[in-house]
Amino acid sequence: MNLLLPGMYFAADTALHRLDPRVKMGAAMVLMVLPFAARHPLGHLLTVGLVGTAVVLSRAPWRALLGTLRTVFWLGLFMFFFYFFTTPGRPLVALGGVTVTLEGVLAGALQVYRLCLLAVVAALLTYTTSPLQLTHGLEAMLSPLARLGFPVRELGMVLTIALRFVPTFFEEIETLSRAQKARGIDLSSGAPWQRIRKTVPVFVPLFLSAIRRAEELAVAMEARGFRTQPHRTRLYRLALSRADGVAALIVLACGVAGIAIR
Amino acid sequence: MHIRVESLTHIYARGTPAERVALRGITLEIGPGERVGISGPTGSGKSTLVQHIAGLLTPASGQVLLDGVPAHARTPEARARRHQVGLAFQFPEAQMFEVTVFREVAFGPRHLGLSADQIAARVRWALEMVGLDPDSFADRVPFALSGGEMRRVALAGILALKPRVLILDEPTAGLDPRGRSDILARLRAWQEETGATLILVSHHLDEMAGLVDRVVLLADGQIAADGPTCRILGDCSRLRSVGLSPPPGVALLEALRAAGWPVHTDALDIEDVVSEIARVL
Repeated sequence: MNLLLPGMYFAADTALHRLDPRVKMGAAMVLMVLPFAARHPLGHLLTVGLVGTAVVLSRAPWRALLGTLRTVFWLGLFMFFFYFFTTPGRPLVALGGVTVTLEGVLAGALQVYRLCLLAVVAALLTYTTSPLQLTHGLEAMLSPLARLGFPVRELGMVLTIALRFVPTFFEEIETLSRAQKARGIDLSSGAPWQRIRKTVPVFVPLFLSAIRRAEELAVAMEARGFRTQPHRTRLYRLALSRADGVAALIVLACGVAGIAIR
Repeated sequence: MHIRVESLTHIYARGTPAERVALRGITLEIGPGERVGISGPTGSGKSTLVQHIAGLLTPASGQVLLDGVPAHARTPEARARRHQVGLAFQFPEAQMFEVTVFREVAFGPRHLGLSADQIAARVRWALEMVGLDPDSFADRVPFALSGGEMRRVALAGILALKPRVLILDEPTAGLDPRGRSDILARLRAWQEETGATLILVSHHLDEMAGLVDRVVLLADGQIAADGPTCRILGDCSRLRSVGLSPPPGVALLEALRAAGWPVHTDALDIEDVVSEIARVL
């Protein structure tokens, strides 16, 4: 792997890497709900503090984290301007018939902050948890549903495969856009609608290769006799340590406090 | 076009735990019309180097000059130079996306702002160059072709740009032996017709032998050797030291030499090997 990609796992031995995947996934859920549920600035401060601590503990390279923010850049920009122009309130300036309000600016900024936190939390989870652990954790958390006939193991398998191919596809997009550039198209210039048209030479081959990969993988799995039943046992059992308990308590306490402060 | 690579260094995933130096201070000069082979073991930096020459990557330090203009610059002159460098990636058929062979090959020329007639003429010429009959192939769906035909269509798409420098990254990977030698012969014919610079990346040393006059060996991101084809490919011990196996003819002569025969090892194709053995007999 030679590119810097969002959703990629970095093997390391940090406090965050050692945590139980179930705890990390639960914590990630709390941290993703908090920016939306918190009403008081103190609650947001608590959230940012918690995420910041996690970033420091993970020793994730800052370039990589900034890279994940880049993936939500356009969505963030769109959301910002959407709220910017559509929120009623005290007018700041009038731009050719459209009134920009103070409330609009604040609401736009709030949305961008929420989006960035979501991206960082999701990235931290994948940076510090290997795909195998993620699946294992998810299966463990959903295992009660298996009694109701919910296909937990199948879901876990689909998740593992999906995570496995995220970096592959990013790398492929990179290669394809370079290859098309070598054929004389300039992907980074032109009007927006032209740029969208220029993505066709990248995404058509990408989808084709994705379909081909899926078929090949299915054949390879069949050939090796893959079955989700009967249940496979695991080499490593998940076990909660004291650090897991402490981490879960801290996140839970912060979560309750963040929502409760009004 | 004159290509000058000046102490070029490339680092992948800089500043992360996955950081890897792919090229370490490469300096290299390739004159107009030269036929150069670039070889080296997997991970030696071959593909990275040629992508720099095509201006697709930004150097960590050093630069690539195409007729004196930095290849990766965002200036109109640099863009014009880049348009004259054609690069066929490994498995170039993976980039195809159009609905007909004609449209696929015309994709590059269309972006050069040519007229419809000029585009049609180029597509015909390029398809003929790679050995596909334009009349029967132009309207076919590229994805319904055989692997070898797809490879030819993809290469035609590059040739249709009429590059002054053509870079081929493993153009014969995955083809059958007849397909290999046919494509190489056609590339040779193309080079002789146009007089363009040809850069061939491969670790099949025997297929390089008939096509290039000069070989650059890369190992671990550095130039391990650079010289005339027969001198580089005839040096078995150096080839082995960088992790490549010598072409079969050379290996045979080397074995004879080790057995006490007074033969020279720098014969590249079968005829040369035979006459070398005959000379000693």
